[in-house]
Amino acid sequence: MDTRTRRQFIRDLGVSAAAAPFLLGLPGLASAGQPVKRKRLVVMFSPNGTVPWEFWPDEQGEDFQLKRILAPLEEYKSKMLVLHGVSNKVRGDGDSHMRGMSCLLTGKELLPGNIQGGSHTPAGWAGGISIDQELKNFLQSREETRTRFGSLEFGVGRIDRADPWTRMSYAGANKPIAPVDNPYHMFEKLYGNVEDRENLVSVLDAVRGDLKKAAGKLSPEDRRLLEEHAQFVSEMEKDLKRAREQKLAVAAPDLKRGVTNENDNIPDLSRMQIDLMVNGFANDMNRVATLQFTKSVGQAKMKWLGVEETHHTLSHHKDSQEDSQEKLTKINTWFAGQLKYLVERLDKTPEPGGEGSMLDHTTVVWTNELGKGNSHTLDNIPFLLIGGGCGFRMGRSLKFDKLAHNRLLMAFAHGMGHHVETFGNPQLSAGGPVDLG
Amino acid sequence: MGSSGPFEDKATGMSSLLGELSQAGCAWACSRRLTEDGLPHRATEWREWWMIASNTDWIELPFPLERLEYEACRLVHIGLRIRTVNDLSGIDMRKPSVKATVVAFCLGLSLVAGALGAEDAGRGHAIYQKLCVECHGAHGEGVKGKYDDPLTGDKSVARLQRIIHKSMPDEKPKLCEGDDALAVAQYIYDEFYSPAAQARNMPARIELSRLTVRQFQNSVADLVSSFSGGNGMSDRRGLRGQYFSSRSYNGKHKAFDRIDPQISFHFADGVPEWGGTAEQKEKGGGFKAEEFSMTWSGSVIVEDAGEYEFTVRTENGFKLWVNSSGEPTIDGWVALGGMPQSHSAKVFLLGGRRYPIKLDFFKFKDKTASIELRWTPPRKVDQIIPERSLSPDGARPILAVATPFPPDDSSVGYPRGAAVSKAWDEAVTRAAIEAANVVVRHLNGLAKTSDKDPDRERKVKAFCREFASRAFRRPLSDDLAALYVDRLFEGAPDLETGVKRAVLLALKSPRFLFPDVGGDNSDGFAVATRLALGLWDSLPDAELLKAAGQGRLQKADEVRRQAERMLRDPRARAKLREFFHQWLKMDEVEDLAKNAKRFPGFDELIVSDLRTSLDLFVESVLWSDASDYRQILLANHLFVNRRLAKFYGFEEPKKPGFQKVSFDSGQRTGVVTHPYLLTSFAYTDSTSPIHRGVFITRNLLGRTLKPPPIAVSFGEQKFKPNLTMREKVTELTKPRACQNCHAIINPLGFSLEHYDAVGRFRTREDDVDKPIDAVSEYQTDDGEIVKLKGARDLAEFAANSASAQRGFVIQLFNHVAKQPVQAYGETALADLRNSFAASDTNMSKLLAEVAVRFALGAPAERDKRSATFRPLIRPIAAASVFQSEAREGSALQRRERRAPTN
Repeated sequence: MDTRTRRQFIRDLGVSAAAAPFLLGLPGLASAGQPVKRKRLVVMFSPNGTVPWEFWPDEQGEDFQLKRILAPLEEYKSKMLVLHGVSNKVRGDGDSHMRGMSCLLTGKELLPGNIQGGSHTPAGWAGGISIDQELKNFLQSREETRTRFGSLEFGVGRIDRADPWTRMSYAGANKPIAPVDNPYHMFEKLYGNVEDRENLVSVLDAVRGDLKKAAGKLSPEDRRLLEEHAQFVSEMEKDLKRAREQKLAVAAPDLKRGVTNENDNIPDLSRMQIDLMVNGFANDMNRVATLQFTKSVGQAKMKWLGVEETHHTLSHHKDSQEDSQEKLTKINTWFAGQLKYLVERLDKTPEPGGEGSMLDHTTVVWTNELGKGNSHTLDNIPFLLIGGGCGFRMGRSLKFDKLAHNRLLMAFAHGMGHHVETFGNPQLSAGGPVDLG
Repeated sequence: MGSSGPFEDKATGMSSLLGELSQAGCAWACSRRLTEDGLPHRATEWREWWMIASNTDWIELPFPLERLEYEACRLVHIGLRIRTVNDLSGIDMRKPSVKATVVAFCLGLSLVAGALGAEDAGRGHAIYQKLCVECHGAHGEGVKGKYDDPLTGDKSVARLQRIIHKSMPDEKPKLCEGDDALAVAQYIYDEFYSPAAQARNMPARIELSRLTVRQFQNSVADLVSSFSGGNGMSDRRGLRGQYFSSRSYNGKHKAFDRIDPQISFHFADGVPEWGGTAEQKEKGGGFKAEEFSMTWSGSVIVEDAGEYEFTVRTENGFKLWVNSSGEPTIDGWVALGGMPQSHSAKVFLLGGRRYPIKLDFFKFKDKTASIELRWTPPRKVDQIIPERSLSPDGARPILAVATPFPPDDSSVGYPRGAAVSKAWDEAVTRAAIEAANVVVRHLNGLAKTSDKDPDRERKVKAFCREFASRAFRRPLSDDLAALYVDRLFEGAPDLETGVKRAVLLALKSPRFLFPDVGGDNSDGFAVATRLALGLWDSLPDAELLKAAGQGRLQKADEVRRQAERMLRDPRARAKLREFFHQWLKMDEVEDLAKNAKRFPGFDELIVSDLRTSLDLFVESVLWSDASDYRQILLANHLFVNRRLAKFYGFEEPKKPGFQKVSFDSGQRTGVVTHPYLLTSFAYTDSTSPIHRGVFITRNLLGRTLKPPPIAVSFGEQKFKPNLTMREKVTELTKPRACQNCHAIINPLGFSLEHYDAVGRFRTREDDVDKPIDAVSEYQTDDGEIVKLKGARDLAEFAANSASAQRGFVIQLFNHVAKQPVQAYGETALADLRNSFAASDTNMSKLLAEVAVRFALGAPAERDKRSATFRPLIRPIAAASVFQSEAREGSALQRRERRAPTN
């Protein structure tokens, strides 16, 4: 019996196991990517608007100061683009939270439907594809940028409903994509077959041994069948051993065990998902990812910050309620900290087969469905970009005047090499991608 | 050579002649068994081929043209002389015999019958007795001290002839040369040397078998369910509907509860019909069109295993769960607006079980509302899930592993686990992983523990031991517990991984996959194992294991009592249903579509309904008290719905759904005239008396037909105009050689000519405007002539035919046991036939008897027990007749093994 632990096994297991025909007909670990410069896009979402005066820098241009919420990101100021004045101008059915969420990456009106929000008319799903999926399709359509998954959608905090408040990624009109909110499920998706293989390795010798024992008691005619079976079992063992001799570019993350998917574990869950995301990028399983913290109207209770109230409820409190605004600032600062962890992990991982760090090849976008919680405005939606994937000129604070966010989504596409002429609502795309240098 | 002949030049002429010949022909080839590569395998048959070619209108070369030269060379070795002729002039191409000759001439060859005749077999035998038997034994088995090894192998006759010619008999090769050597070579080859002869001569025995695919799937399902609790029977039908006057399922807005027979509601811009009391309505204010909601729950009853596509059609919001307690199977909570749309998901389900189903629906501000709950069962079309498939009683999810498997070997006529393959081993592995993941996900429930339970580890390990024990169908020894459970936890990083490995190993173990491995095949657990496989294709349940543990299954009476209990379980019904699908060849014909111009309105909906109708008919007879086999052939009722009634011109049933309709006209008689089968065995434009006749001969009458080795297409253009189908078939099969089989097939097929290609009754054949002639004379296997005036006579004859009943018993045994009945003792078949006859051909009692006989095992195993096998009912006086038939039956089965049908 093999006594290596699963972790050892997975660490030892290789990428090109995928290139070899995979034993069980399951998809391989990663595709053998071509050595071209990789570009990646991550969209990180946190809900319920921000605290504007603690978020936006006062200055424009290259010389600007970070406020409290962005303070954790000080180290990455030179790689950062803060975009003030971007508006989600999509109108139509649905309340601001719904449109804020489901039009955030699609830039297109919601379809009519039966879901009633706190105001406005009821609405249905988004009416078009989201930018992350558009880019995934683009990258997957070309040999040189194709990867095993194309994109991965991560969630943090239990997202157990399916409605326009909980989905920002769409494969098309009426085709929402559910984020995977359980890191163990994501691990299974990324490395599950590896676990299965290792479990198999650990039992096959017993199968073979027992087959031999059983065959000994049978007549020669009957024995033939068991001997044939034993033959297949040892072939499988050999295949598994071959698979095991091949290496992953980067070892699978060693996830903390037994973390249940509940509110109090959000800090752990966040870290686990980010580790999985960076790992997936390092093994080139995908070039696009989304990371969704809870959902629009999300009610995380950040007890670990000493905040006992729920997030969305707090976000409705007036500007004058200083205590509440302080708590909201803490909450948003905590999200910035999660962004920092992601950016830092990317920055500290050298680009596999390329130059610089992974961050130099990745644009991370942090956004929100609202500008501000208590007004439900879709103006001045936080858009903070860090990293070098799209090739923008970084280290700046820019201020726009109600720039339709469609033009920003188009800029992401162009930055990733996909030259779309409009995105989402064509009228809102007028002017083309916003020039970010 | 005449200019009008087909041979304008050698090359193209050759192919056109062959084209013509092969179009028409089935004569010789049909009547002779050929070797696997399509060649006659005896020299005498080659000669016969030649003779027939000279006397019949058509011949068909039994091999591709380009092989003729090669084959001709081969003929040299088996005694046919070949001469080369290059001059084709002066040959009269109009004579069919010459056509055949020319086929050979064109390749520069002519076949002339050689020296071998029919007497050669006798001659070979005589030579063998004189010169060979001393060293090789009477049946080539070998003689100790002379020539020990049996005379078996795979050399050709020609090669054997050369060996004999040169070297046999030992030291005196001159005694047997040339034609003598050929004759004895042929004799040896046919009697015991060739692989075919070896297979034929091998005594029937119980072969070690793995679980069939169905047995694997059922066993895994029941193994897990044995911990989570199973789903009992339910007699109630429909789904429980809870109606609410708002969009939330809020108790305050609860309107009423009721049972809905099926879910198909079209509210337009209105509201659901009020189903509660007036008082309730007054209190709650009834429904408003703006918003309302319903939740339906209960279970879905599944009869056939396979992939079911569930569809919810609505313009509103819904969630559907099928066999799932967690994630919805389809989440359509957000309405897509506008027109109703279909949302579908496929779910693999096993037959003979109930699965939980729940449908949540709500309307909010949409203009209109409607909801349909539909499915597409295997081999049927999309339809509203009918009332008979729904129950308001809840159920627990069942693990139906969806991993696809390669099909089981069915070469002997029924699926069995006779072979293993790499694809099968990998499928088992994938399925085991699938099952292990499910077990781990539900571990706490299955092991009756919780995450916070201090005793969790012990309980989980105990669960794994019990899991392995139930998988192996017997108590687990300490050694096995160490191997299959304890050791796995030692190397695992955590408890869950240990469980995963334990499940994986148990399901990959030979002790699970090969039910006869790993225990004493005569003990009570072995009996329980076979009984459960026989009746359920699954594992023994708790009661059966208990009886085995208490040593009660050593007694035939107790085994029978258990069998009768198990027969009431829906899984037994599912197994019998599968048997009938096989017996009636319901799964073989893929496409029953007909020429739409000739049969307008005969569409896939009708086909799907007919299939349901046939299933309902069989089950109505099978599960009636009498369960009378003869009624399967004779009962004068059908199940029809309005659509079928309309198409077939029957009286429309008053109630929706399938209703029983009786026919006093004598026009309908059991499965014999069921439109599904009449349609299935017919061409797209017309009837096919040959297909119908073959089905009746083989399946309903239990006779054997040699497989036609060459597919013959029935070309209309071959016939004179204005022939009836009967006349065409008669002409086509007129040659003497055809008549070997068609003398049996045709009269049976003709007796159904009153039913057109979609099974409608008719008195005239429209195309030719002639009356139907369904009167025929059929010669039984005893040589008796029976006059059949039509379908009813045929059905009566089949119902009372001893050979038909014998065939039914054999086929049922094969299906239950997946082993040949002859391996269960010389009298097994006769015993079963006797008890079947004595029970007034009660099929469910026969099933119990078959299962008991199978469960008690081969004679050697039964002898170990004190109790001997006693049939359910004492044999009647006809026993001796049946005994002789039993022996015949076993010979017959051996022949079938040699040349599997289809």
